[in-house]
Amino acid sequence: MRAGVFAAAPRLAALLLGAACVGWTATPLLHSGLAGMALAVSIVAVTAGALRLALLEVPEPEHDYFRSAPVRAWLVFLGVLRLLPWEEIAVVALIWLEVLHPARPWHTAALGAGLVAYLLATHIAESGAAPGRLLRRQAKVLLAGACLLAVGAGFAMLPATGAGAGSALLRVLAAVAVVAAAALVLPA
Amino acid sequence: MPPVVPNESGRLPEVSAAPAGQAREAEVRWRASRHARRLLTLALAGLLFATLTRRPELAGLAAPALLLLGAGHRGLPSRLGVRAGLTASRLYEQELAAVDVAAETPADTQFDTRWTFQPEKGVEPASATAVSGAAARFTFTVPRWGRRPLGSVSLVLHDQWRLAEGRVSFRLPGVDCYPHPAVQRTRVILSRLPNRLGEHPARVAGEGTEFTGVREYVPGDRQRAINWPATTRRGRLQVNTFAAERSQDVVLLVDATSDVGPPGSSALDLGLRAAAGAARAHLAARDRVGVITYQWGSARWLAPSLGRRQVYKIIDAMLEADAGWARGAAFGRLPRAALPPGALVVAFSPLLDQRFVEALRDMRERGFALIVVDVLNTEPPARYAFADVMARRIWLMEQQAIRFSLRELGVPVVHWDGVTPLDLPLAPYTRRPLVVRR
Repeated sequence: MRAGVFAAAPRLAALLLGAACVGWTATPLLHSGLAGMALAVSIVAVTAGALRLALLEVPEPEHDYFRSAPVRAWLVFLGVLRLLPWEEIAVVALIWLEVLHPARPWHTAALGAGLVAYLLATHIAESGAAPGRLLRRQAKVLLAGACLLAVGAGFAMLPATGAGAGSALLRVLAAVAVVAAAALVLPA
Repeated sequence: MPPVVPNESGRLPEVSAAPAGQAREAEVRWRASRHARRLLTLALAGLLFATLTRRPELAGLAAPALLLLGAGHRGLPSRLGVRAGLTASRLYEQELAAVDVAAETPADTQFDTRWTFQPEKGVEPASATAVSGAAARFTFTVPRWGRRPLGSVSLVLHDQWRLAEGRVSFRLPGVDCYPHPAVQRTRVILSRLPNRLGEHPARVAGEGTEFTGVREYVPGDRQRAINWPATTRRGRLQVNTFAAERSQDVVLLVDATSDVGPPGSSALDLGLRAAAGAARAHLAARDRVGVITYQWGSARWLAPSLGRRQVYKIIDAMLEADAGWARGAAFGRLPRAALPPGALVVAFSPLLDQRFVEALRDMRERGFALIVVDVLNTEPPARYAFADVMARRIWLMEQQAIRFSLRELGVPVVHWDGVTPLDLPLAPYTRRPLVVRR
């Protein structure tokens, strides 16, 4: 019973974090075709990822001879669930949906934190790793990452030095440089 | 290492733990874990969208993922010491055995390790097939006799942050699975035994322990053999006489031409189990036992010999029957060593191959004492079409005729179902010596 709860908790956490990211990114609702498609893709990907995690222990038979149609359909469904990288699809769709919104730096930074939490929860759910141990080991790096998220948002809020695309690109390059420098110097 | 012999009641003992084999270096193939691939996707998507849309906050999205990826990949060894050892390389059907595996990770690194055992067809795992930890033990059984490849074991290593996944795979050595010997406590003993010291009481007088009668004392008799009550009654010295104790040559003849019936209880399975049981029973009584495996007009043979090692030699020789068609010495030209004159021949056969039946007849006509254990436990399926019913009846009558003709020649044919002890069908021939008419 306790083991079942321990196994179900990270899966439920992953589902809830995925749903929270979708809700966070989708508000306010945009009424354009691309935004609708990105939202639909992200909802499908998060749901499929959660289903994959829920059905992680369901075995697939070794031989596929003389199966009934419903059983074959179920096996195809399981195969598709396990074949596609649903979490990656969800991440890309959510960032795309965020891009379609007008610039909102702190909102985007919060989405970044949510996405990292979603990926960590998914990883814990599928690997069975001890969450406390794993997060304790990575605490410093995650904290540094959160700081860099804030730095990125801060860069976005700085006023541009001049009008035009070149000024905006300079801010992006500065943010990328800070992230890269942090990744290089941070000890393991 | 010889396998542990099951006891008379058929219960198999537990396998004993044995140290794993020598450590050997194995190459570790590292790749990014699924988690790392997801983080990489997040980082690349953030950086790409930041550049395309010129929004620096999206570059910040990549930061945590990049930091995790950058800090995680440290000190991954390219080679690893791995130990693998079997508790037994020879075992009986359904006997438990185990494979012990252990990894020697470098002291300064910390890895999460997970072992997975992928058994081959014909090997049934008896424990979990995936175990976490630096060492693992996978127990397995082999349900049917034969030489079986065991399968492979793979080790998956995860670094501290589970961003890199290392994989080591290696194949396990094969095992020899011996047929489970049938239970046999009694033995068929010939009425005429060769003049060789053994444990069977013969009909001639000798220095054995079995009392046969009383006779008058003659000079040279031992004083301790004097029967004093008989001497008192008759008024003359009387001495006890004892039966001589002799051994016999037993040749087990296994028919490997027809393997009919469901796997696990087919005619060949039953034949080999019965032969293994008979070999053990006769060798325990210090008889010399040999084996001849008959296959499609050819034969493999092992000359009769004594001792416990002979059981394993016999079973090893019988395992060759698993190889299917084989060219060996012609059945009619077996050397004298394989089929010594005066030997008791116990044949285990479903009596389906006419050539084997002819060979039995020929052997009987040459004066060998024969007994046939019929291991056929299956029949053609019952169908309702007239032709099928007729074919089935003809087949049954043919089978009866074969057995009848052998009995007419003086060859006893007993049927064994593979479940009961072999003593039961052989009971009429184990209670008293088997008289051979030459």
